[in-house]
Amino acid sequence: MPARLLAIVLCAFVADAGGDRAVDVGAVARDGRVYVSSTASDGLMRDLEEPIQAGLSTTITYEADLREEVGIWFDRTIASATVAASIQYDTLTRRYQLSRSVDGRLDDSRVSEDRADVRRFALGFDRLPLFSTADLEANAEYYVRVRVRTRPRVTFFFWPWGRDAASGTARFTFIP
Amino acid sequence: MAPRPAPPAPPRPPAPAAAAPRPRRPFRDNPLQVLLGIFVLVVALAGMMLLLNRSSQLAPDFLSEFVLYSLSVVDLTMLVGLVFVLARSVIKMMVERKRGLPFARFRAKLVLLLLGMTVIPAVLVLLVGSQLIFNSVDRWFNQPMDEMLDSSQRIASDYYHERQRQVAGETAQLAQRLAATDLATSDLRAVRDAVAGSVTGERLTLVEVYRLEPGADGLPQPRPVVDVAAASAGPVPGRDTSERLAARAARGQPDPWMREPLDSGGELIRAAAVVRRANGAAAGVVVGSVQLTGEMAARARRMTRAYESYTQLRVFKPALTGVYLSFFLMVTLMILVSATWMGLYLAKRITRPVQLLAAAAREIGAGHFEHRVERETADEFGSLVDAFNAMADELAASRRALEQSSVDLQRKHAEVEDRRRFTEAVLDRVATGVITIDAGGRIGILNPAACRLLGVDAGAAGRPADDVFGSGDLRPLAELATAPYVPGKDWPAQEIVLTRDGREVQLALAATPLHGDARQLEGRVLVLDDITPLIRAQKVAAWREVARRLAHEIKNPLTPIQLCAQRLQRQFSGAPGPVRELVDECTGTIVGEVEALKTLVDEFSQFARMPSPRRVPTDVHQLLTGTLGLYEGLFAHVRIETLFAVVMPPVRLDPDQIRRVVINLVDNAIEALNQQGLIVVETQHDAATSVARIIVADDGPGIAPEERDKLFMPYYSTKKRGSGLGLAIVRRIVAEHGGSVEVGANEPRGTRFTIELPCGDVEAAPGTEIT
Repeated sequence: MPARLLAIVLCAFVADAGGDRAVDVGAVARDGRVYVSSTASDGLMRDLEEPIQAGLSTTITYEADLREEVGIWFDRTIASATVAASIQYDTLTRRYQLSRSVDGRLDDSRVSEDRADVRRFALGFDRLPLFSTADLEANAEYYVRVRVRTRPRVTFFFWPWGRDAASGTARFTFIP
Repeated sequence: MAPRPAPPAPPRPPAPAAAAPRPRRPFRDNPLQVLLGIFVLVVALAGMMLLLNRSSQLAPDFLSEFVLYSLSVVDLTMLVGLVFVLARSVIKMMVERKRGLPFARFRAKLVLLLLGMTVIPAVLVLLVGSQLIFNSVDRWFNQPMDEMLDSSQRIASDYYHERQRQVAGETAQLAQRLAATDLATSDLRAVRDAVAGSVTGERLTLVEVYRLEPGADGLPQPRPVVDVAAASAGPVPGRDTSERLAARAARGQPDPWMREPLDSGGELIRAAAVVRRANGAAAGVVVGSVQLTGEMAARARRMTRAYESYTQLRVFKPALTGVYLSFFLMVTLMILVSATWMGLYLAKRITRPVQLLAAAAREIGAGHFEHRVERETADEFGSLVDAFNAMADELAASRRALEQSSVDLQRKHAEVEDRRRFTEAVLDRVATGVITIDAGGRIGILNPAACRLLGVDAGAAGRPADDVFGSGDLRPLAELATAPYVPGKDWPAQEIVLTRDGREVQLALAATPLHGDARQLEGRVLVLDDITPLIRAQKVAAWREVARRLAHEIKNPLTPIQLCAQRLQRQFSGAPGPVRELVDECTGTIVGEVEALKTLVDEFSQFARMPSPRRVPTDVHQLLTGTLGLYEGLFAHVRIETLFAVVMPPVRLDPDQIRRVVINLVDNAIEALNQQGLIVVETQHDAATSVARIIVADDGPGIAPEERDKLFMPYYSTKKRGSGLGLAIVRRIVAEHGGSVEVGANEPRGTRFTIELPCGDVEAAPGTEIT
């Protein structure tokens, strides 16, 4: 029994610290907006596969922060945006109900039977104008940090507090 | 228990701050708090049981998101609290043991015992229970169950897919069939006939045909043309669903099918197909539907729901396991916390009264007799506290009595010490010698006067009297010190004569017994008085009486004898030569001897009738200079030198008598020198004793020591001529001035007379007579 508990704990930490959960982030400032693209690794989808197939309403939340580095202090967050992708699988009809919202506004909604399409939908978004460039200074360095959280969360026995499922950053120089 | 104020007690000096007992927080049983704690514990357990009972009805995500969080927080809090309490207790016990506080080891053992008795079974139950939970959870998700639910779900899903393909295929065929039909202009009968076959053949339950018209947004909008329903179909639902499906199909969106639940409990599986003309343009949309009965749909839905529930439960398997383990862990921690608290409580309840008694005993041992222990329980500890307080009361009373006795003793000791110092001072200053001899014959006190009179050292105190006084002329003292004592009969007084420095010293010796409380002899006191001056004065007085009588008895017949002799001389002046010569010779002898007798009688008379001195402040140096001036030129071979003190205050004396003293001494010196030698007259002033000294020294043959004391006796003379009264008169004059005269050897040879005169009060004006 103790050996089993120890093994479970070690596996949980090893899995939690897995390195295949990076997020590729792209950021481009154009036409007064900062367009952000994000693509999570397949590892994230593997964790979500079972909840999705079980018919659980699964949500992948991308928390994007537009930040500026500040010397030896904490970086300054200029703006934040939340992109939530929800997936609901109907086990009877074998169809996926997909919907995406940006800061609470519905951006996309559709039904799909293609798992590859579902994966693409869940693992990222492409060129969403998440931030305005009004508060940015010309020729200054900025970066966009995207943290991914999933729900339902796969937790451990005694330790329900988890960390971000994945995260990534993209730097850019704002040239008006 | 806590210290309480003592009953009225006499005031005592305040104890030092460092020794003051530190007030401790009272430790009391609080039934309300205990009951409240038990109530909270019971409520917590009941809540846990209720939550555990309903856990199967709660959604898995609720359990994993909320319940598991809550339980984990509670578990962590209890764990931290338990570790804190244990760490605090361990540290406290270590500190108490290090400081040597009583019962620290006992408390540690008691707590560890209770904790050990609880930890072992609790941990065992936790391990076994956890294993049971793991096994139970594993049993939920076994392979047969997986296969059964997966298969049933696939059956339902495949059935739905089959019916959907069937509907989609039939609808597509209808759309091809209507391709040649102008949906905008043809009559509805042709359209209805075209689709009726599918309905009557029960391949479709409902067929709805729409033609497409351009909408305001430019997109094609479906317009209903005709709908045909089978006779077995129930109430036809509204067109909303079919129109949305038709619109999606017209816009070219993929997967144009859907399910629509019916009020009857059944479902409609709908599919849409675009009617296209020969040129490929979309002219309309056919929506075909097949109705599933309510029972069939419900069964399929239940199968799906069971499958979803099962798979969702498997997703939350770790979280659910964690919830149940957390419940178990919480119970275990509650048991451990309760056991720890109970152990500490019992240890404190048992040891604290004894600790308080021990602390109170230390306080009383440190002198704080007012310290008491408050009785708080009616059990044996309470009786012990009462007994302790009674003992403390008695100790305090005894201490007060002891302190009073000590004060009295100190006062008496001080009195005795004062008396002793007074006695010592008296013994040190008194001229009488005092010697105490204890019962063992050892010398106790030997005052300075006794040392001086007997010529013994003060270190003789403590030695046997026999050793100190056992030889020589001190033998009478040893005999008296060891003489047997007859009760009621004191020892007779004695007079002893000692020779000290060539002088005879006459002492009166008396002994007095020292009695103890039982009248037993504890020692004796020997008292010595120097009676030499007294004896000497008695002798002088006797001689003065003799002189007075001699003068009276002899002087009276001298004048008739002298007259008769002169008369015979006159009568025989005419007688023949031989007779006259004989008479002249005899009468001349008689007259001469009578004159000598008169002179002698005058001196006797003067000695007997010497007047009291009339003392006035006198310049001694001036007096001496004037007196010595009388000898200038008289003796050619005698040299008189003066050696006066630098400072000599006026001395109150009778100048005539002192002048006579000096003349007597100088005359004696000249005679001793046989009118050839040196005479030195010296003065000294001793400011410390306020004494003026006049010293007359010569370098003559000197006087033997044994004769020196006799020099001052009347009618004692070493000269062939002389009455022997000169030095007697000197001594008397000096004595009546309150002084003394001593004779000694002069260095390197000769005799040295030293006169000491008290300077006295010189405040009186010169010439004032003092009697």
